[in-house]
Amino acid sequence: MRRLFGDILVPRATTVALWAWVVFNLALVAWVGLQSLKDSGQVWLSPFALPDTVEWGNYSAAWKAAGFSAAALNSTVLTLVGSLLIVALSAPAAYVLARSDRRAAGRLTGYFAMGLSIPVQTIVIPIIVIKLSVSTFMIDWVTGWWDNRITLLVFQVVLSLPFAVFVLTGYMRSLPHEIEEAAELDGAGPLRAFVQVVLPVAKPGVMTVLILNVIGLWNETLLALLITPTPEERTLPAALLSLYGSMQYSSDWGALFAGIVILVYPMIVLYLWLGRRIVEGMTAGIGK
Amino acid sequence: MGTATLTPPATAAPPAAGKAGRTGKRPRPARERAFWPFLLPALIAYSALFVLPSLFGFWVSFNKWAGPGSAMTWNGLGNYLELTRSEAFRTAFVNTFVLAFGGGVLVFAFTFLSMMVLRQVKGRAFIRSVIFLPMIISVIAVGVAIGFLLNPDGAVNTVLGWIGIEGRPWLGPDMVFKCIVAGLVWSSTGFYVALMMSAADSIPPYLYEDAKLVGATKWEQFRHITLPLTWDVFAVSAVLWVVNSLKVFEIVIAFTTAGTPASPPIQARTVAVQQYASVAGGGVPELGSGAAMGVVILIVTTVLIVLTRRVTRRERVELS
Repeated sequence: MRRLFGDILVPRATTVALWAWVVFNLALVAWVGLQSLKDSGQVWLSPFALPDTVEWGNYSAAWKAAGFSAAALNSTVLTLVGSLLIVALSAPAAYVLARSDRRAAGRLTGYFAMGLSIPVQTIVIPIIVIKLSVSTFMIDWVTGWWDNRITLLVFQVVLSLPFAVFVLTGYMRSLPHEIEEAAELDGAGPLRAFVQVVLPVAKPGVMTVLILNVIGLWNETLLALLITPTPEERTLPAALLSLYGSMQYSSDWGALFAGIVILVYPMIVLYLWLGRRIVEGMTAGIGK
Repeated sequence: MGTATLTPPATAAPPAAGKAGRTGKRPRPARERAFWPFLLPALIAYSALFVLPSLFGFWVSFNKWAGPGSAMTWNGLGNYLELTRSEAFRTAFVNTFVLAFGGGVLVFAFTFLSMMVLRQVKGRAFIRSVIFLPMIISVIAVGVAIGFLLNPDGAVNTVLGWIGIEGRPWLGPDMVFKCIVAGLVWSSTGFYVALMMSAADSIPPYLYEDAKLVGATKWEQFRHITLPLTWDVFAVSAVLWVVNSLKVFEIVIAFTTAGTPASPPIQARTVAVQQYASVAGGGVPELGSGAAMGVVILIVTTVLIVLTRRVTRRERVELS
């Protein structure tokens, strides 16, 4: 009985369930792609059939509807600039936190880690207040204009700092100490030693953090909804939501699925390309 | 360490900034001089735009306030008391707990079962990478795609109709929350499997061979070898789940947006969604109340982290 359950029934059922899960995930991704190529009637009436005719027009419809072209540009720029900023701020900080033996270093590492357990909801209201005040202040007193996308960028970067600093500090600790000593022997200043010696050695860890932030910022929705609500300022997840919300009037289902593909497939490509590093990065620093 | 002999000639330059220090006689290595310049940009950004705003959020939660430009009036604990009287908030609060506990039990039950077989089943690397996939996909996109299938006239109900089961309003107010829990479990379990398996991978195989010799079943091998040796990672995973499940927001929005984005049905709201609805739902914003909800999430998070750590604490099992 024990053997029947513990060796046969439960493991076999679990294996079957795991494969069903795998099939479901793959089928979902493929199905979304197929749906995006059908005309709207077929999307709705025969969701599981292969497309009769390939409707690339769905993509141009999605591109025009709900400001997808602006949203794609916003998402791309915000994601790339944001991720680079996160790394540029966190890598030097993590480096000195990991390598210094000052007492302050340990405390400050803990201070950054504290941010990991502060939910974003605690600062939702302050963010709204800051967004309104900054834009009024800049328009009235300084530049005469302001773009809320800058505010969005700043907060997306700042809220990602604790995780980036936390993971990179752990990573930098694991690097051999000899590297920067060698650089210092050459008489290199701290900045040169960091850029020319430490960064190349730490590249795998830094790249992983960069990629994780690319994924995180690309999919980020709450801040985007709060800070940049207008169509020109929107990012892709918000544009998709707005397109979805309008379906009951427009019923352009083909375009809706094209919108999903525009949002999802870039990340799938990234995952196919760098999959293992993504999984390792997301689980590193936590499991150890 | 011998760093003293390796100090660069450049140490004749001005002494290290700051006073965080030891004797100051021994020349500091270059990286020590770099301590504050390298750290300050991140430290200032994090303190000024994350930590201070959090404290400001605390302050706002004790006031009545409609936003910059209007007067802020002290309200003490009034906002919190109002929340306890609000039907919508109470529902959201209960939902958040159901999600954290119910979802947590399901996520870790699936994780444990998967760990039992993923050590040796064929194609395990492939399975691991595909079940992780939902983690990198926008929850909004998933919600829209699944929402299309679960529509009253959608594919799921059509298929159920073929086999003679009457369709249900899956995304109607009464059932949508169950669909949200299921969706959340589906999309997050892969992450915890990856996390726990990364720890399980380093368990030496001879332990399992020994166990097999004494006739342990696969479940017993998991129960007596894998689980004890990955317990530390499980403790961390449980804390992570708590932190993440209490701020669930996007998936609710994604499953309920067919109508108006800012107002999902009360039955489906979490505290995070309730907070969003209270500030984005139009009308005069009541920022004090929204800030109080944020503080409630922070407090619940902290309490549950402490509880989780206590429950999962036990003597460390190590290989000798």
